[in-house]
Amino acid sequence: MWLPIMGLIIGAIIGLLTDIRIPDEYANYLSIAILAALDTLFGGIRAQLQNIYDEKVFVSGFFFNIILAASLAFLGVHLGVDLYLAAVFAFGVRLFQNIAVIRRIMLTKWSTTSKRQKKN
Amino acid sequence: MGRPKNLSFSLIAAIIGLMVAIQFQTVKEPEVRDTRDTWQLREDLMKEKELQSRLLLEIRSNEEKLTKYETERQQSKEEVLRETLAELKVEAGLEEMKGPGISLSIEPAFNLIVEGDNPPSVSPDLLKRLLNELNMYGAKHISVDGERVINTTVIRDINRVTKINNHSLNRFPIEVKVIAENRDTAEKLYNRMKISAVADDFFIDNLEVKVNQPVGDLVVPAYQDTIRIRYMESATSGKGGGNG
Repeated sequence: MWLPIMGLIIGAIIGLLTDIRIPDEYANYLSIAILAALDTLFGGIRAQLQNIYDEKVFVSGFFFNIILAASLAFLGVHLGVDLYLAAVFAFGVRLFQNIAVIRRIMLTKWSTTSKRQKKN
Repeated sequence: MGRPKNLSFSLIAAIIGLMVAIQFQTVKEPEVRDTRDTWQLREDLMKEKELQSRLLLEIRSNEEKLTKYETERQQSKEEVLRETLAELKVEAGLEEMKGPGISLSIEPAFNLIVEGDNPPSVSPDLLKRLLNELNMYGAKHISVDGERVINTTVIRDINRVTKINNHSLNRFPIEVKVIAENRDTAEKLYNRMKISAVADDFFIDNLEVKVNQPVGDLVVPAYQDTIRIRYMESATSGKGGGNG
């Protein structure tokens, strides 16, 4: 449970310490990629909690989503249509859904454990 | 959660963290709004002014130092030496000179040359005589065909070609440039050369000397080679020197 959070923190620290910067034009793509990555992460957590987690799906989904989102944004820039909004919308909705599901599962788990404790 | 699952999870979390951090750094600094009031602004202005005055002071002191060094340099022995060196260079003929003077051009006198004759040439003796004459009448700097005449200049015949400072005088017209002390001397020099007997001597060798009108800014080139000094040695300190 704690290892992924540690990973997140370590990644952030490395990123902040190395002072890497990407050109402003690519900031859009990176933000989309982050959104996709977060979506995948939460999807993974939800799957884990629902016991349908598959490592391959998770890892491939992570990279595939990122690439898809970035290329969608790229296409949008070249078509003159803000296609990245589509990605933002899709990922945003899924993100909220995933988080809602996670919340519900957590709640049920928590309530069952507390009931058990009461029984005991 | 099994171990490998956890590992890939954390790896991907780390990648996300890295991406977020990079994005943060790229987009960072949500423009800082200036919320200073008048007094704070005044304070900041004061600080900047202090800095400015300090910098000005620094500049001034540096400039003072610079001028000090300059005057020191001017008054130092080094400067005297420098001046002396420059003077000596001028005297020795190592500097290009510019001034009032006349130019003479030596050309073959075609109306005297009989067909089949050897082409005329300036003999060293004749040239020496001309230079002596010029020096006698107040020439200061002389160049012959672009070669500066200095104290150690040699004029000699090498294989029937007259050479001055290793420069062959075989192309006519040969131009002799002479710089005099001032305008008046240049004028005098001109008049004297006009009536000089040297021209007649040249005439005997089928050569004609044309004396051109004095001009205000004649240029005599510097001596090109290095001057070789063979029989001089530097004086040891204590023994030598002007007044010693």
